[in-house]
Amino acid sequence: MALDRMADRVIETDVMIMGGGIAGCYAAAKAAQHGLHVTLVEKAKSDRSGTAAMGMDHYEPVQNDGITPLEFIKLWEERQHALNGDGRFTDPNIPYQYLDKSLWAVEESEKLGITLKWDDGKFYFMPQAWFGGPRLMLRVHWQDIKPILAKAVRKSGASVLERTMVVDLLTNNGRVVGATALNTRTGEFIVIKAKAVVLATGMFARCYEPEEPLFYKYQMKYHWCPSSISGDGYAVAYRAGADLANMDITGWGFRIRDDLTISYGNFDHGDGIRAKWYTWDGEEIHYPTAQVYREIELKGKDPIYVSADHLPDDYANRMQVAFVDEKMISFKIAEDRGFNPRTHRYELMENHPLNLIMPTGVNVDEDFKSSLEGLYAIGDCSNGAHGCGRSTLGGLVVGDNIHKYVSSAGEPTIDEAQVESQKQMALAPLSIKDGTEPMELELSTRYICKRYVGMFKNDGRLLEGQRRLRSLRREFLPTLMAKNPHYLMRALECRNIMDLVGLHIDACLVRKETRGQFIRLDYTEKDPSRDSMITIQRLDNGKPVLEIRKVPDLKPEYAKEGK
Amino acid sequence: MAEPTSDKHYEEKFEFSLWKLIKKRAEQKDISYHDASIEVLPEFQKTIRYRDKEFEEAAIQKRRQEMLELSELERKLERLKKGEE
Repeated sequence: MALDRMADRVIETDVMIMGGGIAGCYAAAKAAQHGLHVTLVEKAKSDRSGTAAMGMDHYEPVQNDGITPLEFIKLWEERQHALNGDGRFTDPNIPYQYLDKSLWAVEESEKLGITLKWDDGKFYFMPQAWFGGPRLMLRVHWQDIKPILAKAVRKSGASVLERTMVVDLLTNNGRVVGATALNTRTGEFIVIKAKAVVLATGMFARCYEPEEPLFYKYQMKYHWCPSSISGDGYAVAYRAGADLANMDITGWGFRIRDDLTISYGNFDHGDGIRAKWYTWDGEEIHYPTAQVYREIELKGKDPIYVSADHLPDDYANRMQVAFVDEKMISFKIAEDRGFNPRTHRYELMENHPLNLIMPTGVNVDEDFKSSLEGLYAIGDCSNGAHGCGRSTLGGLVVGDNIHKYVSSAGEPTIDEAQVESQKQMALAPLSIKDGTEPMELELSTRYICKRYVGMFKNDGRLLEGQRRLRSLRREFLPTLMAKNPHYLMRALECRNIMDLVGLHIDACLVRKETRGQFIRLDYTEKDPSRDSMITIQRLDNGKPVLEIRKVPDLKPEYAKEGK
Repeated sequence: MAEPTSDKHYEEKFEFSLWKLIKKRAEQKDISYHDASIEVLPEFQKTIRYRDKEFEEAAIQKRRQEMLELSELERKLERLKKGEE
């Protein structure tokens, strides 16, 4: 069966990039500069998509204050320890690159027309509230980063497929050779033949309830991220056979009231001055860990509140500027509720896992290559390079170097049986009547994570969660229905979410220890054998494999002080 | 500072100074809030001491000191609870 009869459209390209956020756009624009044919596939519309859709107010790290890459690794790891406990969770050669190439990335960004400077032509390095130390974070006015980046991509000559959801990657003899995709408006089934594929999607978050407790339909509002964050990059990489890392580790934090979020709801980073936290009856406390918050609850001291009344006026005004840069809608939301952050305290709600982010994701080396030939991962879906500045760097590094692989890679050969199988799976929900709505199944899956994984884990809950998930998959996944191509996208997202929740539970089950904010009620001590280890999961000939692997050491050439 | 759990502070009218400027500019020029913010932001920013390191460091140090004192207090309470003092 010829490909052009199986697909509504066949695209041949040198590089396919999945995800048009910051990382994907930088990679596309840079790779196209090398004369490559680049196809960027974006589930939404790249002018306002991805985690920076509404804007961005900070960028890090940038080399400053005389800090060397080696010193930066120490700072970076201290920060990781504060969140995840002792040990390394990512390849230290990756954070080395963050700083070593940071000035180059800033220069490249300026060349693409994306400035990090202010109107006065200078950079502004923010002091760091959480960890103190050197100033490595730039305050940027990036309200329009996405439309500007999208324009740079179009100008570079890269092709952009908007409203297009990748179904799965195509592989042949252990090499990634493209992907199948669906247009979420027209239902067009597309085959993309690519010499190399770059995953640049967001983190995985739609496995837990969002932070936003309002009654938005299907609870699809996440304050760090847009609602599209269904872990698509993680899921397609896993099903293609690539290694995923640290699926046991979740970001965690408080749900915050309404939608004030950045900066007033999340103002710990208020340009160097930390917020104040109070119990409901006015006792000042430090920002609590999950364990401490549990004690506060048991003592009847919750809810807890954040206050900004101690900030100097200049700082309150800085936060207003941050609102405009990152989420201007917050002004309206705050005013509609009559919320004055200068006089009112702000409720921090239940402390719970939020999403799977640093250090989770597609396991990559310092060149952002995954364990599969021809597959790269950058930005929030890679293990080790999430966040705005690191997404920029990853995009630029891959965009600048991928031509070397493309020039040596042979022509991709597509396995037509694989295409047919992916097509049948993807389109199946269109022919199901009176079945299950994708969002119904997604909410049930999220409930499993909340009820059976959560902050405080034990074997019993995790095993029950595993059983419940299997039962949901068996009974309801085959009954997913879609009344139009948009719902078809939702059905595909649901499949991705269910696959990844399964991996999340499996990874938590094998980790029999408490470390940082990974808390097991039945294993309350650290397991020394897990020091500086990564949990790796992959699919090998259709069988799930889980292994605990040592984190690589810093390369000797990087370990030399003064490089 | 209103009581943290009181309803009062969610009923009063409040306007952010920058948002007020954006809304006013949008109305005056019949442009979007987004376009108005691009015009207004640089002016507003000039009213803020961003590059005054002395002021910034003093404000940061003041808060750090407060946090240290809070830690001391917490440690003292912990010792009292254990009957060590």
